[in-house]
Amino acid sequence: MAEPLVKIVDLHAEVAEDGTEILRGVNLEVKEGEIHAIMGPNGSGKSTLAKVISGHPAYEVTEGDVLFRGESILDMEPDDRARAGIFLAFQYPVEIPGVSIANFLRTSLNSHRDEDIDIFDFQDLLISKMEMLGMDPAFAERSVNDGFSGGEKKRNEILQLAMLEPTLAVMDETDSGLDIDALKIVSAGINQVKQEHQNDMSVLLITHYQRMLNYITPDFVHVMLAGRVVRSGGPELALALEEKGYEWAKELSLA
Amino acid sequence: MTDSADVLEDVGAFTADQVEILSTQRVEPEWLRTQRKEGYRVFAETPMPDTRPEEWRYTPIRELLDLGSLRLSGERPAITDADQLPAELSRLIGAGGESAGQIVQVGASVVQRELSEEPTSQGVIFTSLEQAVREHPELVQRHLATAAGPGEGKFAAQNTAFWTGGTFLYVPAHVRVALPIRSFRWIDEVSSSLFGRTLVVAEEFAEVALVDELASGDFHAPTYSNGATEIVAGEGAKVTYVALQRFGRGVRHLTTDRLVPGRDAQITTVYVALGSDVTRADIQCSLQAPGAHADMLGLYIAEGTQHLDHETLQDHIAPHASSNLLFKGALMDKGRSVFRGLIRVHPKAQRTNAYQTNRNLILSPGARADSLPNLEIAADDVRCSHAATAGQLDEEELFYLQSRGIRYIEAMRLVISGFFGEVLEQLELDGVRQELIRAIEAKLYATRQER
Ligand SMILES: Nc1ncnc2c1ncn2[C@@H]1O[C@H](COP(=O)(O)OP(=O)(O)OP(=O)(O)O)[C@@H](O)[C@H]1O
Ligand SMILES: [Mg+2]
Repeated sequence: MAEPLVKIVDLHAEVAEDGTEILRGVNLEVKEGEIHAIMGPNGSGKSTLAKVISGHPAYEVTEGDVLFRGESILDMEPDDRARAGIFLAFQYPVEIPGVSIANFLRTSLNSHRDEDIDIFDFQDLLISKMEMLGMDPAFAERSVNDGFSGGEKKRNEILQLAMLEPTLAVMDETDSGLDIDALKIVSAGINQVKQEHQNDMSVLLITHYQRMLNYITPDFVHVMLAGRVVRSGGPELALALEEKGYEWAKELSLA
Repeated sequence: MTDSADVLEDVGAFTADQVEILSTQRVEPEWLRTQRKEGYRVFAETPMPDTRPEEWRYTPIRELLDLGSLRLSGERPAITDADQLPAELSRLIGAGGESAGQIVQVGASVVQRELSEEPTSQGVIFTSLEQAVREHPELVQRHLATAAGPGEGKFAAQNTAFWTGGTFLYVPAHVRVALPIRSFRWIDEVSSSLFGRTLVVAEEFAEVALVDELASGDFHAPTYSNGATEIVAGEGAKVTYVALQRFGRGVRHLTTDRLVPGRDAQITTVYVALGSDVTRADIQCSLQAPGAHADMLGLYIAEGTQHLDHETLQDHIAPHASSNLLFKGALMDKGRSVFRGLIRVHPKAQRTNAYQTNRNLILSPGARADSLPNLEIAADDVRCSHAATAGQLDEEELFYLQSRGIRYIEAMRLVISGFFGEVLEQLELDGVRQELIRAIEAKLYATRQER
């Protein structure tokens, strides 16, 4: 496959409101079917990168580009990007009071399709995906993320991933706030969706810890520092980071 | 204050002679003729309010309503076949869902009425108010215009003088009507005036729900609706009253509604204001008996240049009563809303629980919501609170929805529907709730709100 699925070239982005620069030249390539992990200390710009890929209006790209299947997506609305196959699992999923998960998911699913899904087919699909993630079907009637525990919110993100079946899944700290059992279920969920799609789905996994990478093995690991990818390597890089800490990565980047 | 106001003001078609004619045509009993004339006297003697009194400050009714340009609605013959109804009205009725009975008023007349067998055999009375005056005069006399009568202001007085058709619902003690009952009012003539009136009497431990639907097509000139509703709930009774207002362009709609829950009675009201150019709803609940409870819910959506005004009073007279008010609105384009709410707790009303919340979503820079919650508390052992907010759509919520492929406009509609969900989920009647959700979504889909 010549062309990478995603190609991020010298990406600079700032906070639209006050011009604070956060991304200072990110370079990254993800090929079809690959799993990449991005690690890095708090505030290094991981979530910002994820949101810029999804088109969050709070950030302005000042330089560089994000190519998806060879085409720049920077002029696309967030919903167009989503329909093109980009999915972001939020670090902090947003509460939408009064909108049920079922209604929300049906609306999203229909927005991806030419023809609305049959209501019974939808119910079957939803229930099977909820079962896979060990979720109580009654959950579907609850308002999106409203009053959910941290773990429930993360599980709900994976449910959406499983329903929408994107080509690029950006998972922003999906492991944080999960206890060990929930982490296993969520990781298994991601693995299953990934397995079903093989080369039709690539994953960008943002995490602080090795523990999720024990369940989901990345092909590549990148370290982000102060708005840049300062180092890339294989799974062993994550282990080294776990052992030596980010100070080590900082020194490396200065060297 | 000059005493020439009534001379200067053009009452147009609303003359004392018309009141006499109306009463004579209907062969009304003397007490009712007297009541109408008293209503007329107060109407004629009360000047059209200007914007000096606090309750009219945000709704310049003199500019918005020119009584001189209006005429009375015409009489309509009774119909036997639904085909004879205006097509749009038929569609509304058809979309209304299951009911135990329905009444349809077009212009001045009730043209259709039915009540299913079970409530009929249980002694439930559901007829036009005119028919009830003929068939149950004592019952009607005991309650009619006792709460929403001439004393409640110029417009309540005008309705008392001019109401025709009307809806009367009586539920005997211990009877529970499982399905909601529906009442439709339709304006079919430009520049006409519909004076609708609803009287609900539920005896001890009775249970019933009435949905009043007000609607019309669009009019190119001002057209008028002036309604009044009285709900009297006996001891332990449970009454739900839903007012769904979907008038077309041109309509000025005023209503004076009074709720009177008895001891341990429970009244739930839902006011849904979607249509009209101008709406002014004056809604008061008088908690005169211990243990009485009222849930007063409302939601409104103003677009274009719509002006929707709700004035509410939770009047706590007896101890140990409670009331809970929640009104939510969405304003777009140059739409405006006014909410003025008062919780008044009288000195003897100890152990009152009363809450009041008004929340507004401002969706366009030109839209505006005036919210004036108020407390007046003369008892010391009470729990009361009020809150008012105005906010915009949360960009994070919209982004979250968009990141799932949902288009911006659709995302907006979802968030707005969700915002109203907090009100609607309090309504126990599933069918009615679904109907209200459809009405709200239809309104949101019809608006051409652009990003
Ligand atoms: N909308 C914003 N307005 C102002 N500052 C912002 C905004 N978004 C991000 N920042 C700042 O940019 C920096 C990077 O934030 P970002 O959330 O991308 O970090 P992160 O790597 O995801 O951190 P964490 O590991 O804590 O999640 C931080 O200093 C943050 O405060
Ligand atoms: Mg982050």
